[in-house]
Amino acid sequence: MWSWLFQRITAVLLIVMLAIHLIFTHILNIGELNYDNIAERLAHGGLIAVDIILLAAGIYHALNGLRMVLMDYWFTSRKRAMALTGILWVVGIAFMAYGTWALWPWIS
Amino acid sequence: MSGKPRETANVGAGLWKATGMWAWLLFRISGLILVFYLGAHIIVISTGQFDKLNDLMKMFDNPVLVLMDLALVVAVLYHALNGVRIILMDFGIGVHRHKILFWGAMAVVVVCFAVFAWVAFTFIVTGEGVTS
Repeated sequence: MWSWLFQRITAVLLIVMLAIHLIFTHILNIGELNYDNIAERLAHGGLIAVDIILLAAGIYHALNGLRMVLMDYWFTSRKRAMALTGILWVVGIAFMAYGTWALWPWIS
Repeated sequence: MSGKPRETANVGAGLWKATGMWAWLLFRISGLILVFYLGAHIIVISTGQFDKLNDLMKMFDNPVLVLMDLALVVAVLYHALNGVRIILMDFGIGVHRHKILFWGAMAVVVVCFAVFAWVAFTFIVTGEGVTS
């Protein structure tokens, strides 16, 4: 129930944030993407919030989606499903930490 | 009385046949592609902390990788718009008209893709973005 609801909430967040992300990276800055170009945009505020929401919502949505697919095939019993959920939370938190570390110069 | 047979006994049944089945399968495949892309994306972008990002980003100016980015855009747009269709159906909107809803969503995918493709091909041909 909660995973279903959060999958919808993160979906809506991702549509909005990903639209902003793709307009900046693909449409407005194609061919000009480098560290300085990205850093300049992040320094202006707003987009750092977009990136953090993208990171959190993206990781949750991706791993919860992967969990649903895997539960249809191999992780069919309750015991296996619980183990899978635990593993994916660890993976998710690790990716969240790694991504946050990459953004840290602009967060702090 | 056989006024609206499609809206009574057959509710939802058509979702798992033909169009609905393909929509589901492509949704699942595009979702899995995006999961692995997101993982790779986080790892690649985080290399910015090691001053290796610029060399990697230059690689993405290669026409082949621009086209692969465009393929990724298709996966994103398909997954996003089919996701919108699913959320609408969660609210009971268009359940009986899910095929029309699906093709409507695909029309939005095509329009959005056209914008991204125009930018990508302009860059491949001229080496410049559309705003530069």
